[in-house]
Amino acid sequence: MASTAQSANTALPKGVSPLRAGTGTSFLWRRLHSLTGIVPVGLFLLEHLISNAEILNGANAYNGQVKFLTGLPFRLWLEIFGIFLPLLYHAAYGVYIWWRGENNVIDYALKGNWFYTLQRYTGVLVFAYVAFHLWTMRFTGIHLTEHYDASVWKVQTELAHPLMIAVYAVGMLAACWHFGYGLFLFAAKWGIVTGEKAQKRAQVLGIALGLLLTLLGLVTIYSFVTRPAQEKNPLWEQPVQEQSQLMAPAATVR
Amino acid sequence: MANKTVQFKIKRQDGPNSQPYWDEFEIPYRLGLNVISLFMEVALNPVTREGKQTTPVNYDSNCLEEVCGSCAMLINGKARMACSALVDNLEQPIQIEPFSKFPVVRDLQVDRSVLFENLKAVQAWVPIDGTYDLGSGPRVLPQVQEQAYRLSQCMSCSCCMEACPQFNESTGFVGAATIAQARLFNMHPTGKVLKEERLAALMGDGGIQECGYAQNCVEVCPKEIPLTKSISDVGGQVMKKAVLDFFRV
Amino acid sequence: MAKTPRIIIVGGGLAGLSAAIKVAEAGGSVDLFSVVPVKRSHSVCAQGGINSAKNLKGEGDSTWAHFDDTVYGGDFLANQVPVKQMCEMGPSIIDLLDRMGVPFNRTQEGLLDFRRFGGTLFNRTAFAGATTGQQLLYALDEQVRRFESEGKVRKFEYWEFLSSVIDSKGTCRGICAMDLRTMEVLTFPADAVLIATGGIGAIFGKSTNSVVCTGSAQSALYQQGAVYANAEMIQVHPTAIPGEDKVRLMSESARGEGGRVWVPKNPKETRAGKDVPEGERMYFLEEWYPKYGNLVPRDIATRAIHKVVHTLGLGVQGLPMVYLDLSHIDAATLDKKLGGILEIYEKFVGEDPRKVPMKIFPGMHYTMGGLWVDNDQQTNIPGLYAIGECDYSIHGANRLGANSLLSCIYAGFIAGPHSMKYAAGLGADPEDLQASFDAEKKRQLELNNHLIENQGTENPFQLWREMGETMSKNVTVTRYNDNIRETEAKLVELLERYKKVNLSDRSMWSNQSFMFTRQLYNMLQLARAVAMGARLRDESRGSHYKPDFPERDDANFLKTSMARFAGAAEGPRFDWEPVDVSLIKPRPRRYDSK
Repeated sequence: MASTAQSANTALPKGVSPLRAGTGTSFLWRRLHSLTGIVPVGLFLLEHLISNAEILNGANAYNGQVKFLTGLPFRLWLEIFGIFLPLLYHAAYGVYIWWRGENNVIDYALKGNWFYTLQRYTGVLVFAYVAFHLWTMRFTGIHLTEHYDASVWKVQTELAHPLMIAVYAVGMLAACWHFGYGLFLFAAKWGIVTGEKAQKRAQVLGIALGLLLTLLGLVTIYSFVTRPAQEKNPLWEQPVQEQSQLMAPAATVR
Repeated sequence: MANKTVQFKIKRQDGPNSQPYWDEFEIPYRLGLNVISLFMEVALNPVTREGKQTTPVNYDSNCLEEVCGSCAMLINGKARMACSALVDNLEQPIQIEPFSKFPVVRDLQVDRSVLFENLKAVQAWVPIDGTYDLGSGPRVLPQVQEQAYRLSQCMSCSCCMEACPQFNESTGFVGAATIAQARLFNMHPTGKVLKEERLAALMGDGGIQECGYAQNCVEVCPKEIPLTKSISDVGGQVMKKAVLDFFRV
Repeated sequence: MAKTPRIIIVGGGLAGLSAAIKVAEAGGSVDLFSVVPVKRSHSVCAQGGINSAKNLKGEGDSTWAHFDDTVYGGDFLANQVPVKQMCEMGPSIIDLLDRMGVPFNRTQEGLLDFRRFGGTLFNRTAFAGATTGQQLLYALDEQVRRFESEGKVRKFEYWEFLSSVIDSKGTCRGICAMDLRTMEVLTFPADAVLIATGGIGAIFGKSTNSVVCTGSAQSALYQQGAVYANAEMIQVHPTAIPGEDKVRLMSESARGEGGRVWVPKNPKETRAGKDVPEGERMYFLEEWYPKYGNLVPRDIATRAIHKVVHTLGLGVQGLPMVYLDLSHIDAATLDKKLGGILEIYEKFVGEDPRKVPMKIFPGMHYTMGGLWVDNDQQTNIPGLYAIGECDYSIHGANRLGANSLLSCIYAGFIAGPHSMKYAAGLGADPEDLQASFDAEKKRQLELNNHLIENQGTENPFQLWREMGETMSKNVTVTRYNDNIRETEAKLVELLERYKKVNLSDRSMWSNQSFMFTRQLYNMLQLARAVAMGARLRDESRGSHYKPDFPERDDANFLKTSMARFAGAAEGPRFDWEPVDVSLIKPRPRRYDSK
C-alpha cells in the first residue's frame, strides 16, 4: 500500500524568527548605512564627478581643481572622516546586507526586484572598483597631494589601455546607478516620499539622475582620453624635500 | 480536445524533516478547474501519472474564496492562493510547491505562525477599555475609513513574506504584512495610543529597517494592499521617533 | 479565593471569539480550540453586513421592528425571547465593534452608514465594504490576540474536537481533542464547554460554506446525547457561482441592478450564452412572476431555478445552472455599482460578466437548525453551550440577511458570562471524574486505531461525494417524502459502506484524509437527522418547502423538531417542543402580497 504508519521526527524546524520587538541595534546600523550612502559618500561622489569634469575646461583647470582640493585645510582629516571611514562602513555593511538578502529575481522577475538585485550587485562592483581606483590613484604612483600638476598625466596614464577605459566606464555606471537609485531608496525608506505615484516619480528621477551622472562621467573620460597626452615631469619622482623647493615657482602645464 | 488533460506535479514531503519528492499527476480536463479542485481530484483517486498508488495531498484551505488566507502556496514558482489559481490561466505542467520560507509541516502545509507572533509583537489591536457599553466609537471620516479598509483586508496569507528577498532566517525580517497592520492601528483614533510602542517594536532587530524595497510584496499581494506605501509611511514614523528620541529623551 | 474558572471554547469564528473575549474579561481562563488558525474561520465569508436598529437614518427604526422582522422572516419557528434580546443588544454590539476599530463604511459626517437588506423596510445594516464578516472577525481576533498575549487565552489551533467528556452525573466536564499535526489525542478538563463550530455545509457536498464547516463537532455531541433541533431548516441561496471545488455566493444586488435570469429554450443548446439569440431564451422568472420579475424573494427564486433545471431539464448545457445576465448593461455602470462582485466572478470563473452571462445556481448556504439550547445558550447537557450558527435559536425556519453576524456575537456575549456564572456554582467533582476522562480518551483512541487499520475498498471522498449529491438533490429546496426516504436509505447504505472504508494514507503525522474520514462518519449520522426531520415535518415553512404540503401548519408543526441519537444503526429519534410565541402572535407570511 501507499504509505505505512511512520514515526516521523515531528519537531518543526524553527523557520524565520519573529520580530525581536524593541531589542538590538540593527536599526541604528542599517539606517546609518542608508544615511552614509547619501551623506557623505553620495555627496562626495557628486563632488568628485563635478571636479573631474573640470577637464572639460582644460588640463590647467583640472590640475587647478586638484590643487584646490588637495590644498583644503585639514585635508587628511576630511579624507579620513568625510570619505574613507564612511565609505568603508557603507561598503562593509553593504556587503553584509548583500550577503543576507535572498535574491529571487528568477522567480519574481519584477521591476522593483530587478532594481533591488542591481542595487546589491552594483554595490559590490563599486566596492571592488573603488578599492582598485583608490589603490592606483590615491595610494600608489605619483602623489597628487604633492604634485597636483601631475593630475591630468596620471589620469591619462591610468586610462591608457582600452581595457582600463572599459573598467572605468563600468565602474562609473555602477557607482552612479547605485547612487541614483539609492537616493530613491533613501526617500522611500525614510518616509520622505510615501505615495504610490510619488514613489514612481521618485524612482524615475533617481534613475534619471544616476544615468545623467554616468553620462557626465563618460564625457569626462572621453575628454581625458582624446586630449593630447601630458608629458611626465621627472621632478615628480624626486624626493619630496627637494622637490618642494623646485615646485615653488608654479609648474607649467601645456 | 476529447482527450485534453491537466498535467501537474506536486512537491511533497511526508514530515518536517523528511526528504521532499515530486508526484506527477494527469487528470481529464474540465472547465473551471482551479488548483484546489486538482487536489480534490487526487483525493478521489490517489494515483500518480505513472500509475503508482499515492496518498491524498495535504494542504491548508478553508474558504476557497480568497478571504481566509489559508491556501497560499507556490504555483509555477510564485506565491499565490490556490483557490483563485485557475488551471486555464496556468502553464502546464503546473508546478505546485509549499512555501519555501516557512517550515513545511507536510506536503503543501507550512507553519506560518510567525506572522501571528509578529502581530502580537506590534500590538496590532485597538486597546479598548472593555466590552461593556460605552457608547459609539470615535467618528471617522469616509476617506480615512477607505484607507483603513484597504489595510484591514490583509488576510495573513503571508505571500508578501514568501516573495520578499529580505524575509529569511538570517535577517528575521518582520515582513510587510505586520508593518501594514502597525500602520493601520497607528491610524485609528484610539489605536494610536500604542503608536510609540508599535514603532519601538518595529525598530527592534528584524524590524522595518530590514526592508530592501524590492517591492515584491505589493506585487504578489492578492488583496492589493498598499504595502510599500505602508512601509514608507511607517518608515517616516520611526525616523521621526528616532530623531525626537535622540533630542528629547 | 476561588480558583479561576476554566472555559473551553471550540471554534474561533465570531461566536467563539466573542465568547472568549467575554470570559477573559470576566477573569476566566480560556482554552480556545480551532481546526484552523482562528483568523481563517468561516465568518470571513460573510459579505453584506450586520443588522442593528441604530436608527441613524431618521426612519423611526426600533429594536422591536428588528425583532418583528426577524421572527416574521423566520416564519415564527424561533423562540421569541432570545430573538428579542438579540435585537435589543444589537445597537450596543455595533458600538462595541466600532470602538474595536472595524472599518465600517461612514457617512460624510463620520457616522456609521447603514444600508437596506432583504426582509425589512429599514436601512438597518452596517457594513464594511463587501467583506463585513472578515472585518468583524479580524476585530475580535485582534482583541483575543491581546488577551492571548496577556496569558488569559490559550489557543489550540490545528486541533480537532472529537467529543465532550461527560461525567457520571451527566455533566460536561471537558473535551477530547486531537492535534491535527502530531495526531495525538488528549483530554482537556474545563468547568464549561462552549461549542461554536458553525454550519454543516459539507454534508451537502458543495455549499457556500468553508471547508471546515462539516458539522462534525455538532454531530459528535448529538451522538453523545445533545439534542439537535430543527435539523431540517437549511437555507439555500438562489444565486451562487457553481465551482469545481465549492459554490461561491453571488450577491442579490446583481439582480437589483437589472440582472436577468434565463436559460436557453432548447435543452440541447450548445452555443455559448452570449451567442444564443434573444428569441431562444427563456426568462423564466419574468415569465412566471411578471410582477416581481427577477426580484422575487430568495426562496421563490431558488425554487424556480430548481424547477427549470430538475423538472424541466433546461439547465445550461445539460448542467445544473442558469444564466444571470448583466451583459446588456453598460460596463461603466456595472463597474460603478457592482465592481466587487464582478471581480469575484472574474477571478474564480475566468470570464468577464460584463461581456458574458454568469452561470449561477442555488447553493446550500446556511444552517438555521443546530444544537438545541435554552435561553442562556446552554444545551440539554449541563455545562455544554452552543453558540452561533451551530445552535438552532434565533433564525427559525429562515434567516434574514445580515442577521447571522449579529446572532453569532449575541450568542457569545450571552454564553460567555453565563458559563462563568455556571462555573462558579459548579459543585464538587464526582469521585470517578478521572475515569470519565480516561474512558473517553480510550474510546477515541479505539476509533482512531480501528480506522487506521481498517482494510477495505471504499474511498472516503467518494462516499462524501455521494452523500452530498443525494442530500443536495432531495433535502434542500423542494422536498418530497419519497425522495427523502430514498436519501435516508442511501445514507444507511453509505454508513454500511463506511465500514469498508480504506485509507490510502496511514501516516500518523498531519494526515488530513484520516481526519476527513473521521468527520465523514459524523456527517453521515447528522445527515440522517437532517433528512428525517425534513421527512417528518409535513408542512411548508420558511426554507422548508414540500409541494405535497404547500401550507404552513401551525396546528401541528409550530414546533421545534428535536432529534435525539438512538444508536449508530437506529439513527435519529424525534420529538417536538412547542415554540415560544409569547411576544408576537404568528401571522401568515406572504411575500407576494403588498
